[in-house]
Amino acid sequence: MDIPLAHYLILSGLLFSIGLAGVLIRRNIIVVFMCLEMMLSAANISLVAFSRANGVNGVPVYDAQILALFVVAIAAAEVAIGLALIVAMFRARRSVSSAALTTLKED
Amino acid sequence: MDFAISSILFYVFAAMALICACSVIFASNPVTSAMSMALCFAATAAILFGMGAQFLGIVQIIVYAGAILVLFLFVVMMLDIKTEEEDNDFGVVRNLVRMTPGVLVAGVLGAMICIAALKLPGARDWNNPLCTAWNARSELCIGKQQSTVTVTDNKDFGGALPALNPVAATNDTKASSIPDVKLLGKRLFTQYNIEFVILSFALLAGTVGAVALSRKIHKD
Repeated sequence: MDIPLAHYLILSGLLFSIGLAGVLIRRNIIVVFMCLEMMLSAANISLVAFSRANGVNGVPVYDAQILALFVVAIAAAEVAIGLALIVAMFRARRSVSSAALTTLKED
Repeated sequence: MDFAISSILFYVFAAMALICACSVIFASNPVTSAMSMALCFAATAAILFGMGAQFLGIVQIIVYAGAILVLFLFVVMMLDIKTEEEDNDFGVVRNLVRMTPGVLVAGVLGAMICIAALKLPGARDWNNPLCTAWNARSELCIGKQQSTVTVTDNKDFGGALPALNPVAATNDTKASSIPDVKLLGKRLFTQYNIEFVILSFALLAGTVGAVALSRKIHKD
């Protein structure tokens, strides 16, 4: 008995939507950022599952796994920039709540 | 009724990943969130191992659970976040109202993905006892529409993943496991070489950007 592809896709979709819920609900920017990372790694699961499902002769399609590798590398660069932005924001506003970012709000 | 140990482990780790993901959202302390995120990434890496992508599983552990988690913990430690959560006491009702749209949007997206995945050809032909019982029940339903559409492509795309075949990958009849890293590296450094170089420039830009953003700005 093997696990069908659909179950991997459901797991990946559920992890992605939990991450999306976190991005929409939370005010703390650091937690929002963690949820973004979870969404990226959820997408990786479905990439690897599709690479197995489309394999020829029992060899997975490695293009999908290379795309997943690129996603991991870009996520690392993104975290470096994003955390620098969070530190800069904390310096300017003394807060990490997204409610503190109201400069462009019309009042 | 033969459950392979690997498929039981998949469900165990999937449940662990989902529970840890929920705990990332609902923990009030950012350090708890970061630790739950590490557990979630570890479970994800275990699932990748189970799919035979050993290299990506290792990369997941090293990069996500190692580097990224440490960066998050550093920032949480440097900024004094504990005081920031205090101003969040609007009351239970107002918090629930604030959370409703986000939960709704994410729930609709998750439900859409689940339904689309289950509609894949072969996704429900799953030979475990529970699923067989479910199929038998739905066959017995009165007034069930006979499906007239026959699937011409009999490749059960949504069904069980095809088994890995090391012999086809290596032309070696004594091979016992797929040389995952070797095949991936060959593809990465030949076909995707340009993309790899561009990716390294993206990482360089990330480094420069992080230094530029965290530098103190001197106004003269």
